[in-house]
Amino acid sequence: MEKIILDKINREEAFRYMAAEGYSPEGTMAELADECEQELIAAASPFYTYRVFEIAANDGEKVTLRDCPLVFEGKDISSLLKGCHSAVVMCATLGAGADLLIRKYQIENMAKAFIADAFASAAAEQVCNKFDELLKEKYPDKFITWRFSPGYGDFPLSIQRELLDVLNAGRLAGICVNKSGMLTPIKSVTAVCGISDSELPRGKRGCASCLLKGECAFRKRGTRCEF
Amino acid sequence: MNFKAFLDSNEFIILDGAMGTMLQAKGMKPGETPELINIEKPQWTMDIHRSYMEAGSDIVYANTFGANRLKLAHCGKTPAELIPPAIENARKAVDGKALVALDIGPIGQLLEPTGSLTFEEAYELFKEEIIAGKDADLIVIETMTDLYETKAALLAAKENSDLPVICTMSFEQNQRTFVGCCPESMALTLEGLGADAIGVNCSLGPKELYPIVKKLSLWTSLPIVCKPNAGLPDPETGGYNVTPEEFAESAAELAELGVKIFGGCCGTDPEFIRVLSEKLSALKYHERETDIPAAVCSPENTVVIDQPRIIGERINPTGKKRFKEALINNDINYILGQALEQAKAGADILDVNVGLPDIDEGSMMISAVKSIQGITNLPLQIDSTIPDVLEKALRVYNGKPIVNSVNGEEKSLQNVLPLVKKYGAAVVGLTLDENGIPKKAEDRFKIAEKILARALELGIPRQDVYIDCLTLTASAEQAAVMETVKAVNMVKTRLGLKTVLGVSNISFGLPNRELVASNFLAMCLTNGLDLPIINPNIASMTGAVRAYKLLAGIDENCIDYIKAYNGVKVTTSVTGAASAEEKHSENELAYAVENGLKGEGAAITAKMLESTDPMEIIDKILVPSLDKIGQEFEKGKIFLPQLILSADAAQSCFEVIKQKLSESDSKPIIKGKVVLATVKGDIHDIGKNIVKVLLDNYGYQVIDLGKDVDPQSVVDAAIENDVRLVGLSALMTTTLGAMEDTIRLLHENNVNCKIVVGGAVLTPEYAKKIGADYYAKDANETVAAAKEIYG
Repeated sequence: MEKIILDKINREEAFRYMAAEGYSPEGTMAELADECEQELIAAASPFYTYRVFEIAANDGEKVTLRDCPLVFEGKDISSLLKGCHSAVVMCATLGAGADLLIRKYQIENMAKAFIADAFASAAAEQVCNKFDELLKEKYPDKFITWRFSPGYGDFPLSIQRELLDVLNAGRLAGICVNKSGMLTPIKSVTAVCGISDSELPRGKRGCASCLLKGECAFRKRGTRCEF
Repeated sequence: MNFKAFLDSNEFIILDGAMGTMLQAKGMKPGETPELINIEKPQWTMDIHRSYMEAGSDIVYANTFGANRLKLAHCGKTPAELIPPAIENARKAVDGKALVALDIGPIGQLLEPTGSLTFEEAYELFKEEIIAGKDADLIVIETMTDLYETKAALLAAKENSDLPVICTMSFEQNQRTFVGCCPESMALTLEGLGADAIGVNCSLGPKELYPIVKKLSLWTSLPIVCKPNAGLPDPETGGYNVTPEEFAESAAELAELGVKIFGGCCGTDPEFIRVLSEKLSALKYHERETDIPAAVCSPENTVVIDQPRIIGERINPTGKKRFKEALINNDINYILGQALEQAKAGADILDVNVGLPDIDEGSMMISAVKSIQGITNLPLQIDSTIPDVLEKALRVYNGKPIVNSVNGEEKSLQNVLPLVKKYGAAVVGLTLDENGIPKKAEDRFKIAEKILARALELGIPRQDVYIDCLTLTASAEQAAVMETVKAVNMVKTRLGLKTVLGVSNISFGLPNRELVASNFLAMCLTNGLDLPIINPNIASMTGAVRAYKLLAGIDENCIDYIKAYNGVKVTTSVTGAASAEEKHSENELAYAVENGLKGEGAAITAKMLESTDPMEIIDKILVPSLDKIGQEFEKGKIFLPQLILSADAAQSCFEVIKQKLSESDSKPIIKGKVVLATVKGDIHDIGKNIVKVLLDNYGYQVIDLGKDVDPQSVVDAAIENDVRLVGLSALMTTTLGAMEDTIRLLHENNVNCKIVVGGAVLTPEYAKKIGADYYAKDANETVAAAKEIYG
């Protein structure tokens, strides 16, 4: 399993998370951003793990897997996995070090905390994107859907714990879930994607299928989260 | 044979191999609850235990790894229902030919501060498992990555059972666990807490674990356990890459490091154990010699007392009005600020003293220790005169701390030393007794000898006793100065103990205190002082330690010294204060705030306070600047990060003003009180904390309840403080329910306050629907709500 090295953080993305799309920092802000980037890279220990399961059945309402007790419930996840022969269950994290850094910043310098928090979100997304690339390299002749996480659409957040159990994520990646379905460390992600032999229809991605479409801060500002 | 007899023999002890791997081979699917098999298919676990016993295991682990109440909740069973049958199955299977261990794995939720499970909750969960598993021969706490969680489990084992305890943790190739714990800290902490054997399991194969075990062997005198995986896993197949023969070969190499107890973890099976057992039967176990250094630690950071180390003294209310005010107002962030400031200035260890007559010192100590260890990895020195407060802190401290202090009085020796032993701390021994502080060095030395003897009697290791020969004020007792220096020298050279000394007192009542204190410090260092307790923010004091290390040849090639001073403009003042010749005007302060210049803002404020009324600075400069920035933000001229940067700069100005006001006994300026909380179940609180900074700036007193806050606590705080505004934040759709519950409870209790809510997934419509009075889309809008209510 290739190790993910984080050497640069996507600032454009990070400033979008800070509701400052298009802002290019200068002066004090630029200095703080540099410091945050360096310290976050040093504090983070990016990690991911995944399992691939054959899809046993997909009736449009739920998806069952072979040799795995997971059941993906919901029309959205079923629709995503339609036409796929296998499902990839993945998790990724920046580790507890990133959380510690953000906590420390909140005492020292709230502006740095705010920046580092957004940088960490961008970094977590970068780890996931890197995972996507690795998956594509592993399956060069296949077609892979986008990542779909619990809490999107009608894919219930309550499946978090089972996903982590199947991945042995507590043991392998140190990722846990609390009572309300929040992952710890905070900058952690779980997701499912599908693998298909044939080309996938477009539109399995975008605002129309997003749970937040009615209340999204990006859409209110007339932009998109680009997820 | 019982476990202790096994430990005393010169044979290796063979544990079993994987349980999960074997259950999966029998048909258990990934994600299924393994402990249910104890009652649903007991034959499976019995077969597995028997085959391990037949392969050579001296000890088998009962199938109880995840049998805690939280993990079992989804299957409707309790530890009491699943643990006893697991142990019974193992007993039947091995038929007296192997010992049966109660196996305790991680809870499956992260503890505070990264997670939301408290130390106390973790303790209770483990206690329940330990009581349910009372019929085992020993307790195994394994696959831990969080030292804090391991401590909770080990304490629960020691306090609720007489069985021997093995603790093993899982390390990654960077020699750290996921949460950052290093082998040295693990060894120091768990041996101190009374584990019978410690070691490593899971995560890596035997080859990869070698350097970690090697390190561990240098830091513990306990028998070492190694239970590796069968190499590294393939995520696709779940398979492992080491053969039983390779595994046994590596184990033989590990045996040379002094490993006594071997077994296998993920991917191993009875064949691995059979080959391992054969290989080791040809070898003899040799007990190793150890010489554990004097050291204290947090999980991530071990501070070895092999050279002078600075103990920062600033977390202490004595003589500090601003600190007292923070304690009374439960303002933990102020204390945390003091912790980080000292860490930055060069402290190696932080003294924590929160003793104040008007507060509950015990609960404040718990909260201070938990909060400080959540943001810094410096080990702590727990400082209180009350044994009960010491014990409260020792329980919740994560690592090996120093207890400050015991002294030669019988009562103190009897009350404090047993706590030091139980929790595996180091201890400061003050050379005073019932008759006070002896005048002569020889008499102080005698008390040091007595304290050491009593500590050794209780089994406290010699290297964990640090002696404080006590500094008296030079202006009052000039002759005593050299007695202190002499006593330090005697304790160091004759007893070979580490020495500690509060240095600052020396210059009390004298002009130019720094000069006297830093020279006294240098004298003591030359005479063997290891742990000066000083204010590290005073450059000349920290400098004296750095210079001593350079001159004594400890700082090889002057690397640390050059790193600290190269390119630094040397001043004689406390770091952060303003230099006198700089000229400042109102415009400059406004400029600093608007441009987020934190240090400059504080310096200009300090200078202006010499001639300007604090209220004038607030009303004429700070608040108008914040308003201006706020308006620019509303208009979209500046972005949120810039707004926060300015708020942060303004906050540093307000801190200088607060300090000034507390010194002059003036009443702090409070426009009104606001309770803030991130709701139950929600642990993402950065948004709420940003709101707090802004409200602080505008002169509102924020009662910050933190994150994951129970609805009742919000109601209680609102009533107790008679607030007119409560602010609630929630990040996720799943925690909006808790927000609604909190609002409902406030209404049901007829709390006379308005409620403002905010958070990523909230909308104005939803806020209205759940009964909130205001929806704030950002921190600025919360301030607007506060202004509307309080003016």
